[in-house]
Amino acid sequence: MKTGLRLAALGGLVALMFSLLLLRMWVLTVTDLEVALETAESQQIRTVVIEAPRGDIFDREGKEIMAGTVASLRVIVDRKLVPLEQEEGLIQNLSALLGIPAVEIQAEFTARGSGARFPLGDEIDEATGVFVLENNERFPGVTVEAVPVRVYPLGETAAHVVGYIGAPGEEDLTRPYISLADRVGKFGVERYYDRLLRGTPGAVTYRVNARGNILGVIEEIPPQPGGSLVTTIDLDLQRFVENTLLSAIALARQDGEPVKRASAVVLDVTDGSVLAMASLPSFDPAVFSDGRLTELEWIALSEKAAFNNFAIQGAYPPGSSFKTIVYALAAEKKIYPVLQEEYQDLDRSQDPTLFFSDGELRFPSTPVLRDWKRKGHGLVNLSESLRQSVNTYYWSIALQIWLNRGVGYEEDELQLWARQLGLGEPTGIDLPFEQAGLVPDREWFQYNQQNQTGLVRAEGGWAGGDVMNIATGQGALTVTPLQMAVAYGALLNGGTVWQPRVAESVRDSENNVIFTNLPSIIRKIELSEETVAQLRADLNGVVNGVTGTARPAFAGFCDDERDFECAALQDVGGKTGTAEIVQEREATDPADIPEPNQDPYDYILRQAEGRGDEYYGPEIVEAQQAVDTAWFVGVAPLSDPRWAVAIVIDQGGSGGRVAAPAARRVFQYLMGEDPDPLRPGADTER
Amino acid sequence: MRTMNSVELKARASVKPDVVLLIVVAALTALGIIMIFTASAPRLETAGGSRSAQMVRQIIYVGFGVVVMFVATSISDRTWQSLAPVVYVTALLLLLAVLSPVGAIRQGAQRWISLGIMDLQPSEVAKPAVVMALAVLLAPMTEATMRWLRIAKALAIAAVPAALVFVQPDLGTALVFGFVTVAMLFVAGTSVRQIVFLLVVGLIAVLAALELGVLHEYQVARLTGFLNSDEHALSYNYNQNQSQIAIGSGGLFGQGLFEGTQTNLAFVPSQSTDFIFTAIGEQLGFVGGALVIGLFGVMIWRILRVASQARDRFAQLTAAGIAAMLAFHVFVNVGMTLGILPVTGIPLPFISYGGSFYMSMGLCVGVVNSIWMRRARVPGQRQMPE
Repeated sequence: MKTGLRLAALGGLVALMFSLLLLRMWVLTVTDLEVALETAESQQIRTVVIEAPRGDIFDREGKEIMAGTVASLRVIVDRKLVPLEQEEGLIQNLSALLGIPAVEIQAEFTARGSGARFPLGDEIDEATGVFVLENNERFPGVTVEAVPVRVYPLGETAAHVVGYIGAPGEEDLTRPYISLADRVGKFGVERYYDRLLRGTPGAVTYRVNARGNILGVIEEIPPQPGGSLVTTIDLDLQRFVENTLLSAIALARQDGEPVKRASAVVLDVTDGSVLAMASLPSFDPAVFSDGRLTELEWIALSEKAAFNNFAIQGAYPPGSSFKTIVYALAAEKKIYPVLQEEYQDLDRSQDPTLFFSDGELRFPSTPVLRDWKRKGHGLVNLSESLRQSVNTYYWSIALQIWLNRGVGYEEDELQLWARQLGLGEPTGIDLPFEQAGLVPDREWFQYNQQNQTGLVRAEGGWAGGDVMNIATGQGALTVTPLQMAVAYGALLNGGTVWQPRVAESVRDSENNVIFTNLPSIIRKIELSEETVAQLRADLNGVVNGVTGTARPAFAGFCDDERDFECAALQDVGGKTGTAEIVQEREATDPADIPEPNQDPYDYILRQAEGRGDEYYGPEIVEAQQAVDTAWFVGVAPLSDPRWAVAIVIDQGGSGGRVAAPAARRVFQYLMGEDPDPLRPGADTER
Repeated sequence: MRTMNSVELKARASVKPDVVLLIVVAALTALGIIMIFTASAPRLETAGGSRSAQMVRQIIYVGFGVVVMFVATSISDRTWQSLAPVVYVTALLLLLAVLSPVGAIRQGAQRWISLGIMDLQPSEVAKPAVVMALAVLLAPMTEATMRWLRIAKALAIAAVPAALVFVQPDLGTALVFGFVTVAMLFVAGTSVRQIVFLLVVGLIAVLAALELGVLHEYQVARLTGFLNSDEHALSYNYNQNQSQIAIGSGGLFGQGLFEGTQTNLAFVPSQSTDFIFTAIGEQLGFVGGALVIGLFGVMIWRILRVASQARDRFAQLTAAGIAAMLAFHVFVNVGMTLGILPVTGIPLPFISYGGSFYMSMGLCVGVVNSIWMRRARVPGQRQMPE
């Protein structure tokens, strides 16, 4: 090869190389122009989201803050601005500054991902903030910002109504303006009214250079602060109810009962407002917003089920407190108890509701049923049956319905009535995770039998005994305290089933009302005035009558001892209940009941991964142990019903002994009497 | 000998330097000064300095470079041939000095010797030195006499400075020596078979280096980074991504001088040195970039033309080596900014900011002109090995 040729070849190679460059440049500048321009544009612009301050939550007066937002100084790391080779040094410096182990910071960095912007550590004081800003070369990509932090001044008071905020779940992320770094309502009204409370975030768009230095503002959209929520909660009453429940728990403990929790609702029966709603044990919602909650504390709290609002999530058998509902049906529809053979010649011409209670009920194809009072109550009519809580009476009414099913009554006449009053369905209160409870019927029974869910016996069909069980508030029937308050309210206010509500209104930052939660009626049921009047009288008989099961608990209701009649007590009425869980009940093999997911570790993981929403709390059907859950549901003033009170002392013993005294104290408060300390009432309905 | 001398005298009297080559150099230099200003002014302003500080320094460097160029031209190619060993040894000593405590460390690399007014970068001095040393060694060779021993010697001549540069660390310059050596071996008559063998050995050596960890981690990351472009957009690939965005957003005609947002907002690092081509691409577009590459094309063509008319083998190989070196610089530098070649830190001749580099390139062009002015027009007058 001639030298000239070799030089030419070298030239050719160079020409080839340069052509390659030109080709590549053509692709970049002409073919991919759009992409490059877009990328160039986006990286010269930085948009910083300005969180909208979350709205406050107030009591019904709009005065006391139940949840608020304060600014808290935090260290913010912007990994986009941290050069990779300086990251290790930065982590060391941050560790020294914040007192967090470097390993944990490293883990946080990894979890957040490259290019993320996030706050690190707890609140810092101003001096630390200034130190960070002055030593920026040691903290590249780190700024100090005032971050809004949710505070709950009331602590554990009304925590279940207020709720708490936390990391967004998958579902939350599909909503507009919600990113992983945000906090959303997870429970209580914080969750239910999250949209209104959170407002709309603003944004500032800056023009920046490669170092992230801001060169100018392009656009600024101010955030729209969230609305402030006024609840229906009467905080004084709320505190009083919570204290009373605490005393009631203590009282039951003295009796050696395995009491674990208690819940209560005070409902305004004229419009459905919830004046107080308590569930003990409670928790401090702030532990969720500032991350103070340790894993151990979490486990301890969740084992106590402190995060569940048992007033709406606790589905208990109502026990005898359900008799009021049966009573109203019997009075309204003139359903009289079936007389046993030996009492067939009882003269019922004066009072067709008469019945002789000898403590036992024997009927073909039904095992012998025994009253809680072994020797029986003797001759009773409908009124006495309620005051003395006569089980055989209500079984007999159920039997009447059963025997005349398809003739005079529907087979599920009783269940339909209960559902009319709002049982077996969520009340629709503006709080999340409400339980529906259960009003069992043939359909439900057959479904569970066919699918072998273990909730019903494997053999035999739906029977009269099942309906009789319902009539005394036992069996598979479950209700929540709130449902009972709503039902009692409807029976005594003349038939209006109010939808309960905890939010009154939402106001924007200029105090304009942007949302009003108007009282809403679920349905009106037909109820004769006579029935209502009779019910009022007999519910008063329970607390005030000589034979009333709650009379001992309500003794000394009035302050003035000379007030012999005790006018205030004349105006109070209610019914005790003891949900007996009989172990032989076939439906209650604990192993067959599907266990709700209660693994606290799993829950923590879900929360961390933003999947917390899948957890609806255990559906509490207290069927595993042979223990009694104490109920009292009452209404006052009877002359013009205003309040319905439902109290449940979970595994607290008999209703007359612990629940009725607690209710008495609440009614004393409501009726303007001096509340007396709790003392045990009569042991009834065992 | 006497006749030769008279020819030389005659040639010197009648021949002008390659004006086209000088015009190309002048054009690229002028463009370089403008681009350095556009790329550095916003940064200097942010830093609170004078907007034109870097440009003024470059103008001073260019002044020195022009002087070096004319001195180099005035020295006869024969004299250069006799000086070549001295220049080569001097370059090696300077490279050793850099690694001694005399050397100054900038941005983590020990590449400079501080001379007060400016920093001398010995690896730039070594570039023409290696070319001329190789030319001296290979001048007597023909296709027939090119043996492996001679090839090995040539490789050794390049390998010593390459190794010294490599440990600075300056991978790019070491690669320059490799390319120049292979190109000059080819022009000197090495067979294609031998070249292929050398390339295969070279490839194995590179792979071994990657495997054995001879390279610094960041070097490996840079070399392989461009292969997986979007994975680590914020780390090692940052430079190249920003660079491609800058060039890409220039479009066909560019955004205009001082209008480039990427340039103005300082998104491209080292923009007045290694990444100067991005300033050209963004502000002057495809047309401007193509013009620059075209000018370099003309430059290479002119130098190869000088090589083809050189009066002897040394001059021819020197010119060819310089052409190869310039071409490699342009290819690797522009290829790097376009994202098709790894980031190795090789500047763009006559355009990138830097005194040593400009003077070194000026010297090369000066030597080329020296060869041109003393060329032999008639092939018969050329003294080539038989």
